[in-house]
Amino acid sequence: MRIHLTVNGTGRTWEVAPGDTLLDVLRREGFVGVKKGCGTGDCGACTVLLNGRAVNACLLLAVKAEGGAIVTIEGVAQGGRLHPVQEAFLEAGAVQCGYCTPGMVLSAVSLLSHNPDPSEAEIREAISGNLCRCTGYVKQIAAIERAAARMRESR
Amino acid sequence: MGRAYDLPGGATIGARGTARPARLSPLEGTAIIGDAKGETVAVHQIRSIVRPATLEEAWERRRSEPDASRFLAGGIDLVLYVPPTVSTLIDLSALGIAAVRQEGADVVIGAMATLTDVLESPLVGEVAGGFLRDVLRRVASPLQRNVATLGGAAVRAHPWSDVIPALLVLGARLDVFDGKLSTVELSEARARSESPSPLVLAVRLPGASRDGRGAFEKFARTGFDVGVLNCACFAIIERGQCRTARVAVGGTPSVAQRLPRVEEMLAGKPLSASQIALAAQAAADVVDVRDDRRATAEYRRILTAVGVRRCLEDLADLGMEVKE
Amino acid sequence: MKKSKSRAFAVVGKSERKVDGLGLVTGRPMFVADVDVSNALVIKVLGSPHAHARITSIDTADAERMPGVACVLTHKNTPATRHTTAGQGFPEPSPYDTRMFDTKMRFVGDRVAAVAAETEEMAERALAAIRVEYEELPAVLSIDEARRPGAPIVHDEPDATGIYDASKNIAADVDIDVGDVAVGFAESDLIVETTCETQYAQHTPIETHVVLASLDADDRLVLRTSTQVPFHVRRIVAQTLGIPMHRIRVVKPRIGGGFGVKQEVLLEDVAGWVTLQTRRPAFFTLSRPEEFTSSRTRHPMRVRVKIGVQKTGLVHAIEMEAVSNTGAYGAHGLTVLANTGSKTLPLYNKAENAHFFGQAVYTNLPVGGAYRGYGATQGYFALETAMDEAAERLGLDPIEFRLRNAIRTGEGSPIFAKLGEGREGVSQTVKSCELERCLEVGAERIGWASMRGKKECRGSWVHGVGMSIMMQGSGIPEVDMGAATLKMNEDGSFNLLVGATDLGTGSDTILAQIAAEVLGVPLAKILVTSSDTDVTPYDVGAYASSTTYVSGMAVQRAAEKVREQILGVAAPMLGVSTERLALRDESVVAEAGSSVTLARVCQRAMYETDQFQIAATASCVPSESPPPFLANFARVAVDTDTGVVKVLHYVAAVDCGVAINPRLAQGQVEGSIVNGIGYALTEEMLFSSRGRVRNPTLFDYKIPGALDIPRIDVVLVDSYEPTGPMGAKSVGEIGINGPIPTMANAIYDAVGVRLRQTPFTPERVLEALRRA
Repeated sequence: MRIHLTVNGTGRTWEVAPGDTLLDVLRREGFVGVKKGCGTGDCGACTVLLNGRAVNACLLLAVKAEGGAIVTIEGVAQGGRLHPVQEAFLEAGAVQCGYCTPGMVLSAVSLLSHNPDPSEAEIREAISGNLCRCTGYVKQIAAIERAAARMRESR
Repeated sequence: MGRAYDLPGGATIGARGTARPARLSPLEGTAIIGDAKGETVAVHQIRSIVRPATLEEAWERRRSEPDASRFLAGGIDLVLYVPPTVSTLIDLSALGIAAVRQEGADVVIGAMATLTDVLESPLVGEVAGGFLRDVLRRVASPLQRNVATLGGAAVRAHPWSDVIPALLVLGARLDVFDGKLSTVELSEARARSESPSPLVLAVRLPGASRDGRGAFEKFARTGFDVGVLNCACFAIIERGQCRTARVAVGGTPSVAQRLPRVEEMLAGKPLSASQIALAAQAAADVVDVRDDRRATAEYRRILTAVGVRRCLEDLADLGMEVKE
Repeated sequence: MKKSKSRAFAVVGKSERKVDGLGLVTGRPMFVADVDVSNALVIKVLGSPHAHARITSIDTADAERMPGVACVLTHKNTPATRHTTAGQGFPEPSPYDTRMFDTKMRFVGDRVAAVAAETEEMAERALAAIRVEYEELPAVLSIDEARRPGAPIVHDEPDATGIYDASKNIAADVDIDVGDVAVGFAESDLIVETTCETQYAQHTPIETHVVLASLDADDRLVLRTSTQVPFHVRRIVAQTLGIPMHRIRVVKPRIGGGFGVKQEVLLEDVAGWVTLQTRRPAFFTLSRPEEFTSSRTRHPMRVRVKIGVQKTGLVHAIEMEAVSNTGAYGAHGLTVLANTGSKTLPLYNKAENAHFFGQAVYTNLPVGGAYRGYGATQGYFALETAMDEAAERLGLDPIEFRLRNAIRTGEGSPIFAKLGEGREGVSQTVKSCELERCLEVGAERIGWASMRGKKECRGSWVHGVGMSIMMQGSGIPEVDMGAATLKMNEDGSFNLLVGATDLGTGSDTILAQIAAEVLGVPLAKILVTSSDTDVTPYDVGAYASSTTYVSGMAVQRAAEKVREQILGVAAPMLGVSTERLALRDESVVAEAGSSVTLARVCQRAMYETDQFQIAATASCVPSESPPPFLANFARVAVDTDTGVVKVLHYVAAVDCGVAINPRLAQGQVEGSIVNGIGYALTEEMLFSSRGRVRNPTLFDYKIPGALDIPRIDVVLVDSYEPTGPMGAKSVGEIGINGPIPTMANAIYDAVGVRLRQTPFTPERVLEALRRA
């Protein structure tokens, strides 16, 4: 079957099998920044935005994205300019192996687009579904706080 | 692909953790792993996904192929496990049942509203001091909450479900459709066993629950986890007395059930420390708990007493703020 | 000891951004699976349903005929070479007890057969069509069962080598002593003995094992693989497949975490074989459940520690007996066992009498391998628990007790020489040790004095604080080797080629920082290529905390050689002798003030006069392994109603010498602490009565998430290691050893119960409270 959606701002029409997940389809279509860590929604490495909300791509049937707007990590930086969350991650040392990073960044982007002044507890909650084994989350939380502050300043 | 996947060892993981062992042959000591029928093999078995525009269409499709079809709400549970006979999914997203609205005294939450939608709904926030929102915040992570629907959660009723005990103690009812519209109590709907079960259109929070208060305790291993036990309590307290009290305990490991004996103990009495202690002990005595890989029955019994006590203390504004 | 404050570095000691950070944060294709694999065959494995069974027949005819199937692999059509999967230097100190596909299955999930097919779905259908008959054998599912006389033998194959005593299921045995502990105990005023047990745990890297095998234009086998040990992969695949090493190229791109589980040659031989047979690229990855059951795990261990202390507060004798469950195969069995003693006992070098002994035992359970900490983690649980008990019984503050007994700068320990990794070690004297300062800083940060013994209550929660100290190592002396090549470009930039393996640890970055420091250039002028066996010089790979200390020294030496070459070219240009020249700000600068840019120097050497390529290669084989040191403090709250333990505040004060990149070093410690907290509180692989893993999913094997972490303070204490590059020691592992003993001691402070079995689940804690 065919689905129509926008990915990172560009309209796409893709041939998919009914049982395909969005993760299957995105990686097949070249969006390899979307990672597979478990395939069962337990790790969050496959996080993408669907209509502005962070979701596990591995748990979403591709057809559920019909007519929707997807943002993957490849679409976060605009024209070579990093999003404040990406910049803050680099600055804060929040990236180690980088495998959880795309999902973590997108959960943070989703949080800050809905809640520009999150508390630490709200930040932790926003990334609670994104597992990381390298960093211990300390610098990731700090990076999101810093990004939030910068984004508020630049308004 | 259909998300039944193999464990090495021939068992198949179905819905989160229920494993079926490999078939043993009649010959002692040998086992045949798999066969051409593919019961132990993950296959891409979904052949079609339809998206009806009317309730009648959706129901007719479901009714005509009860074994080969399933309703598709958020789809998370189906991605993780779909029974081998299922080849058609009936997507409910075009039926217009996602809104949250006020209907008289009731707050009616469309079955296709995501848990996040419900979490952010001011109308839901007005019921029992926002109790349902507090509970939903403990469910999974935002990633799942942005996709999972309240209707799906109510129907699927995972044993560890946090949604079910919350809805049970709120006295929630379900608007359903099976060729005709009707409204049933949640517990009654769950007890029914006809196949296919009716299409859930909405979860209805009755106006009578509006002025009550709810409390919820979830005991889990980590913050992003299902509970090894959960407790939900609801009470309407007038002049220090419980006019209505509802207590539900879930993850026992079975799905939540109300505890009528405990509710009777509380009804019509003040919510005092001694009454709470009695109720908590009674809950532990009557609750049906079992061992599983997450916890033992004995420990669940202990947690039941602690959980019910803490919920009731919360409702009564008793006890210290026990945040470490 | 000298502090590093007096040294002024330009690049080293700065928290520079990771050189691979930009690509990672924008999701560029950098991991194994991020290349176009649409043309590759997909490999899936049929895992054994039995913990112990012989394959009596295996019929793949139906499977081979199925659509899309390129080949089916079994013991009948694959090389029979017995080898070890352990990624260690040759000759590996692990038994050669493994076959690619064996006739006997030794754990649930062991490899029965594999299918390579056009799609994953086709491969899985074909797996289901393989007909296998087994003769089930009685299984041994615990150390005690395995060591019982007459127990079933896990490794009865005639061609295995390097097993200590296969007939008794003993993969490895270690026994060393110093002095005479019997006499030592007799001379002691206080004896404390404790036995602690640790559980099966798994590394859960977010990226599971994955490899893409292909043939290059010259028909050489190329393995693009998620590995910590590219050179060991090349050698072991050559050995296993029986092909010349020079016909194999191993490339490690970015990998999604390792923590030791990828210090193993698990998938590459199978993928390589498929590619060689079919001439097609072959893609092989483990599902998450397979990562749990069929890759590698932490060795569960039972460690008994007995210490004899004199009234003076000096530990006079230490005995440590460690028994480890090495699972169905012996990879890393001996070395993890030996490390349990070699990284713990030297810490308390005042004990003139010491005895370390133990065994690694085969069972029909998942295979233990390398996991951050590598035995020290298990050993410190018992040792620091015993020390905590002894301090209490002596009436000494635990910190004071450690200070009296811990090793200091200028001291050695006879254990260093007696116990290396699986063989004799190397004698050494500690040249940097800031433990005292670590303890001072850590105690202050946690609020030790005001909290210890107070048992503050908030509702049902009781608070307590605990501490522990530890050391680790920096590489394996006289065994590990790292090498680096630097070549200069005519714009004043340099290519740095290192075999060293960045798992996300940032080794590419810190190695570049070292080179940049020596050469007087900014970090951006060092372009790193790493972990490609065709291009980069040899390195053992990322394990044993070797990269900063060993590979870093190789980089420093290579850079120094290149500096000499640069100065040699520049001297005539400036008319100054080389002794009067220095590298600074991308130039060669004379004492008197004249200078010439590096670009000009290289242009001259490349195009103009006495042309040659400015380049050098250098190696480092360390003669010692200077330990990093760590003092841990934790404040916990124990819920006496439910047994739940919450860590509220965790402080780690670390001495890793000079931190080449403080933020990355801090990140290593933070990450390993959180991993250790999971190991202490929630992580546990559970088994059925038939040896099957019951919870091989992240749903039911719980690792810490963002909601679970306490306030974490990592303090890098000022220190300087004279033998290390720029004064550095390594830091990759030590942090993970802290949480178990620290929290066990904190729980004791809070509620007066000693927990001796991990994880400290609420049920265990509550049970202990009730028994008390």
